[in-house]
Amino acid sequence: QSLKITGVVTDGPAGEGIPGASVTIKGKETATVTDVNGSFSISANVNDIIRISYLGYANKEIKVTAGTTQLKISLEASLNDLNEVVVTALGITKAKKSLGYAVQELKSKDISTAKEPNLINSLAGKIAGVQTTNSQGDMGSSRIIIRGETSISSQNQPLFVVDGVPVDNSQFLGNGGSRDFANAISDINSEDIESISVLKGPNAAALYGSRAAAGVILIKTKTGRGQQGLGISINSNTTISNLLTLPKYQNAFGQGSNGEFSYVNGAGGGVKDGVDESWGPPLDGRLIPQFNTKGKPEPFIAHPNNVRDFFETGYALSNGVALAGSGEKQDIRFSYNNLTQGGIMPNSSQNKNSLLLNTTYRITPKLTLNANVNYIKSSAANLPASGGKRATGPMLQFTWFGRQVDVSKLKKYKDENGNDFNWNNSYYSNPYFIAYENTVGQKRDRIIGSAELNYKITGALSANFRTGNDYYTDRRKIKVAFGTNGTPTGSYQEDAYTINENNTEGRLEFDKKLNDNFSLNVLAGINVRTNTLEQNDQMATKLAVRDLYTLNNSRDPLVSSNFYSKLRTYSTFGSAQLGYKDYAFLNLTARNDWDSSLPRPNLSYFYPSANGSLILTEAFDIKSEVLSFAKIRGGWSKVGKATEPYQLANTYTFTAPFDGNPQQGAGLVDLNPNLLPEITKSAEAGIELGLFDNRVKLDLSVYNTNSINQILKINVSPSTGYSQKLINGGSINNKGLEVQLGLNPVKSRDFSWDISLNYALNRSKVTELDKEGLIRSYTIGTNRTVDVLASIGKPYGTFFGTAYQRNAEGQILVGAGGTPIINPEKQYLGKFTPNWLGGISNSFTYKNINLNFLIDARIGGKVYSNSNRTGTYTGVLESTLRGRNTENGGLSYYFPGNVNTGIAVGIANGGQAPAGETVYTDGMIFDGVLANGTKNGRILPAQQYYKGFTNVDEQFMYDASYIKLREVKLSYNLPAQWTRKIGFQNATVSLVGRNLWIIHKNVPNIDPETAFNVGNAQGLEDLSLPTTRSFGFNLNLKF
Amino acid sequence: CKDELADLNKNPNATEIPQIDYLLTGAIKSTSDAYWGVTNNMNSSLLFIQHWSKIQYNDPDRYIFTNNDLQDLWTSGYTKGVTNLNKLVLLADEQGNTNYKGVAKVLRSWVYLLMTDAYGDIPYSQSGQIKDYINPTYDSQKDVYYGLLADLKSAQTDLNAAGKPILGDIIYKGKIELWKKFANALRLRIALRIADKDVEKTKAVLAELTAEGGSLISTNLENAQLTYSTSPNQNPISNLFDTRDDYRISKTIVDTLRSLKDPRLSIFVSPTKDVTEQTYIGVPNGFLDAKKYELSKTSKPGTYFLAPTAPAVIISYAEVLFNRAEIAARGLSTEDAAGLYKQAIEASLQQYGVSATAINAYTASAAAQYNATNFKASIGLQKWIALFGQGLEAFAEWRRLDYPELVPAIGGTLSGKMPLRFLYPGQEQSLNGANYKSAIARQGADLLTTRLWFDLK
Repeated sequence: QSLKITGVVTDGPAGEGIPGASVTIKGKETATVTDVNGSFSISANVNDIIRISYLGYANKEIKVTAGTTQLKISLEASLNDLNEVVVTALGITKAKKSLGYAVQELKSKDISTAKEPNLINSLAGKIAGVQTTNSQGDMGSSRIIIRGETSISSQNQPLFVVDGVPVDNSQFLGNGGSRDFANAISDINSEDIESISVLKGPNAAALYGSRAAAGVILIKTKTGRGQQGLGISINSNTTISNLLTLPKYQNAFGQGSNGEFSYVNGAGGGVKDGVDESWGPPLDGRLIPQFNTKGKPEPFIAHPNNVRDFFETGYALSNGVALAGSGEKQDIRFSYNNLTQGGIMPNSSQNKNSLLLNTTYRITPKLTLNANVNYIKSSAANLPASGGKRATGPMLQFTWFGRQVDVSKLKKYKDENGNDFNWNNSYYSNPYFIAYENTVGQKRDRIIGSAELNYKITGALSANFRTGNDYYTDRRKIKVAFGTNGTPTGSYQEDAYTINENNTEGRLEFDKKLNDNFSLNVLAGINVRTNTLEQNDQMATKLAVRDLYTLNNSRDPLVSSNFYSKLRTYSTFGSAQLGYKDYAFLNLTARNDWDSSLPRPNLSYFYPSANGSLILTEAFDIKSEVLSFAKIRGGWSKVGKATEPYQLANTYTFTAPFDGNPQQGAGLVDLNPNLLPEITKSAEAGIELGLFDNRVKLDLSVYNTNSINQILKINVSPSTGYSQKLINGGSINNKGLEVQLGLNPVKSRDFSWDISLNYALNRSKVTELDKEGLIRSYTIGTNRTVDVLASIGKPYGTFFGTAYQRNAEGQILVGAGGTPIINPEKQYLGKFTPNWLGGISNSFTYKNINLNFLIDARIGGKVYSNSNRTGTYTGVLESTLRGRNTENGGLSYYFPGNVNTGIAVGIANGGQAPAGETVYTDGMIFDGVLANGTKNGRILPAQQYYKGFTNVDEQFMYDASYIKLREVKLSYNLPAQWTRKIGFQNATVSLVGRNLWIIHKNVPNIDPETAFNVGNAQGLEDLSLPTTRSFGFNLNLKF
Repeated sequence: CKDELADLNKNPNATEIPQIDYLLTGAIKSTSDAYWGVTNNMNSSLLFIQHWSKIQYNDPDRYIFTNNDLQDLWTSGYTKGVTNLNKLVLLADEQGNTNYKGVAKVLRSWVYLLMTDAYGDIPYSQSGQIKDYINPTYDSQKDVYYGLLADLKSAQTDLNAAGKPILGDIIYKGKIELWKKFANALRLRIALRIADKDVEKTKAVLAELTAEGGSLISTNLENAQLTYSTSPNQNPISNLFDTRDDYRISKTIVDTLRSLKDPRLSIFVSPTKDVTEQTYIGVPNGFLDAKKYELSKTSKPGTYFLAPTAPAVIISYAEVLFNRAEIAARGLSTEDAAGLYKQAIEASLQQYGVSATAINAYTASAAAQYNATNFKASIGLQKWIALFGQGLEAFAEWRRLDYPELVPAIGGTLSGKMPLRFLYPGQEQSLNGANYKSAIARQGADLLTTRLWFDLK
């Protein structure tokens, strides 16, 4: 007897309705999905079993009894449940229990409530083994690494795949403007994301082939599936941001040198007024002519907030609307989102508009078409500068600074005659002038689209064809105004990048339960991938007239260059999964690539993987009160990797002709016609446990990855004729441990407390560079005299720099001049890679209120800080106050005969010099010993003392550990009875905060998380912009 | 599909085989840029020999260098010089054009000479052959000089004015007879460079030159130099002063020229921007007290040197004459030392367009007379003036002649000593460590004050 049953599926007993949950009758074809409220209706017979399932929740089965008409079914979120399904390689959803490797997913709510303009930052601290690094400031790039660096020289960031389409995440630093251009994945709107699945390495991602070695991040966008009628949702997010870090400056001494300063023209015309350091007179209100006083002496006083006041309050406004609907034949979801952002840097802003259309048409019961298109237009009128660059970065001139400078007096940066003026005219333009006149704009127009056909040939066999494309243009306009210090006639540059990646794929899938015990899933396919990159740069190095930014407004010939590259890969791949009794699984994959970047004899390469899982609790029926679930898993995989195009034959490039004579010259890299593919081999094992009715869930992985035969541009002695040589040979080993622990200490009707904890440890070791063993080190990056190396026998990213010369007892040797001696041989000074990463998230739910906070930590690893070095040299940092006068512990001394190039003679504080010489009170003695072992007693003026060790890199290496309060969310879900009255189905208001507090760090003055860019040369901080905290609110409405 | 993929990977952005004349232009331009540019000239050797001084950020003028600061001569010399010139030799052989080969050898010898003069022992016999030697050994300076002399001798044979023409020659516009003179002038320079250490070899080279009967650079029109052009090919000094204002002329040379009443003072040195009593004011090298030296009251280089089209001089007629004078003074030839010395001074003055009257007055003055009892003093002083702007050569010759007697920079950090060489690039320690270590074991510690082989005292 058929019954019409209606019901509602909710997230926990008191939660919201779950839309899109699947409702089936066990053993029958009947199926439906819940609507936006979580409601469904289905026809069933008495004794039928209704099965409700939804991604990330435990399945529920309910037996239909006579009289069943209305059901209220609550699903429980599961971390490690038997029936959880996850998105795996090629977008195939699989039961998590069947996988032989670790995979971790984030849901929409994990990333979209407390939004980050750059998607990558949203992952920080949430997934074991994933390390993200925000570069600086509040716009710009972020770097992501999974399970440590596996490639010595090339891309270590994972592959991003959106709805089956591999998408680009390049940064393109470009050759001008020194801005922190956003990496391309930041285009994706977090509001459109349904889930992010992180495949942590080759074991999980082997089917992606070449690009899987660094892991894959699979992004699935929301669809209209399950939406009955028209569903409209609106999301609005408003946050403001301000400085999280800023160096601690001293406010006792102003600009100048040797205690002297008087301003005439800021370029050496006055007394030390060309000096951009703060070794000048004390800020005691004495009367001195200053940059803004037109020669009039005015009180020389501190402006303690002068740097802070330069920065503004940043903001980010994200507003979006999504329409969704589904019917018998189709599902549709359309969304529009706008993000408008203003940075902490004056005059920095960006705007992003994103349109996404996801459609599914069930053309016949057997044939389905999916078509998705995402159009993103992002434009930034002016991006914030990256660190340490003369024309742009404000932190350069704020670290070379006069501490007395009143920044507010610089704000109107042109004087009455229209001329730019500044506190120093030797080296810098006014920072406001730079912010408003020297702009760097970036515009990206991007279309990510795919079309996919599925055809069910028989019940067990289906065919799938998909083509997906990611196309964008990225255009930059880099303006340098007339009158800019160092570029008196300005310049103008236009850079354009056009990127396209197409993947076209066909596959056949066979899925059948062979008998009661065995099930089989076999898949085979082919893929053609084509990548093209076109780059076009043009520059007018000197403008003909001011304020006009065109390429023709040039007094010199334009400097132009272009570059084109094309890469194609053909692939065949296959996978097989054999299941036994739903508790034992064996997975095999194989792939062969033919890649155009490799030489003809080596361009085909094959690689397999195998993994398996066993659900112990099922297999041995050992369920107990304590142990609810236990699974072991393990696997081995190999993936190959090709290289960039055109790495096989040396070429001679052209430079601008000399008086009509074209010029050609060899490149700096000796290329290699015999390249072989890189190989990464990885073994992984893990255990998943659910205890106390799954209120304690533990997932533990160990892995060992060997990346061998790497294609490396190794630095060689230039005396070979080249600076670098492209070789096959680098080997690096990564070993690691990952733990995810989910705890649910309190669970009651109204209140629950969930803890999610992750921990990851990775140890890398460079084992080989070249086959002959002649090369001991590979230089990943350099800042001043500090190199970041991959050195044989050492972890990836080891610092190599200058150090103090020490005696056998380890005491620092001091030279006759009273300054420490630098060891002529550079030394190893630690590594940038952390010892471990961890995150702990606590979620408290009381009725409709949820409080969630995330703390993450990065422990170990070092950073070289050029902000600290430079600020020590220039005397702007608070740390340089020690010894600068008697109150700060300075020693009193005089120079015999007032010859200040002579040797200082110490006297008691407050004492007189014997012949009435000038007495100074800023004496310092470097703590070290002379060559003969006696303690150094040479008194130096503080200025010479501090400058005396700024070339010792060892002094500016710091522990980069930090613990941060990364995210806080307080959400209130308006009660249903209220929302219905005002016509909403659901309304949630949240207060959100990101990067609120650095709970602990060991490096002064900077945020240890700062990165240069998204490349591998990390750990080299260089006058970076302050990092920011943000807070605001999020409003989510559905009706 | 393999063919399709292999074709796809052919680089559409550059050529695999360079055009020989384009390669020649590129090699001359890039090596001249390094020779005349910031790192090797303005920010090091010109300061050491007190032609220039530094008024802002004067650490280099106090001999404060890290082992990364002096690597450009090495890096550019090998990667832009030696590599491209080696390729030029190969292409010349393939095309059967020995003139390109001779020109390439002359330029390559000059580049190696700059490097060994500055660093001492350098990779030579195994250098520039990356396929065979990834860690080239360092040859002793003596062996490098010997190798260069042999190479230049063979270049003389390669160069044939009646042979195939060459293009892309932005030094001599294809005049092969001038390249022959340039080659001989370099041989003479090297022969003299080693005269204190290995006079027998000096004699042998002189004998070869005589036997060959070849000529030397014999007028200022034959100077080996690259005359720069307009942007983006302007003179590196002009390029730097367009945007920066860090350098001044050294007090040492300003005061010397003034005391000699040398007409080159107003050419080498610009008047101070603000009117001053002395008009030309040099800044002492390595000063510690910046207060006294204002940008507007001290002298930049003369406009001759600041012009976009100013030449980078490699070997001048004056130098050749000084070298001949010294050969005679050492009794290694029968020429008239005093006469050649006078001609050398005249040639230098003519090089800068000084009038004949002023030249005669100057050469007649007591201060400009040749001192036969101490030829090193008079030649050393006048050559030091004549080499103004050619920092690396002036630095080498000052070390060899020990005149003029320069006093170390005021704030010098070498315990009262002067720099006597460049530091090896820091990365040699990590990239070619074993060979680097054996070189310093032979030559002495990798310090600025370590004396090189050619430098007797």
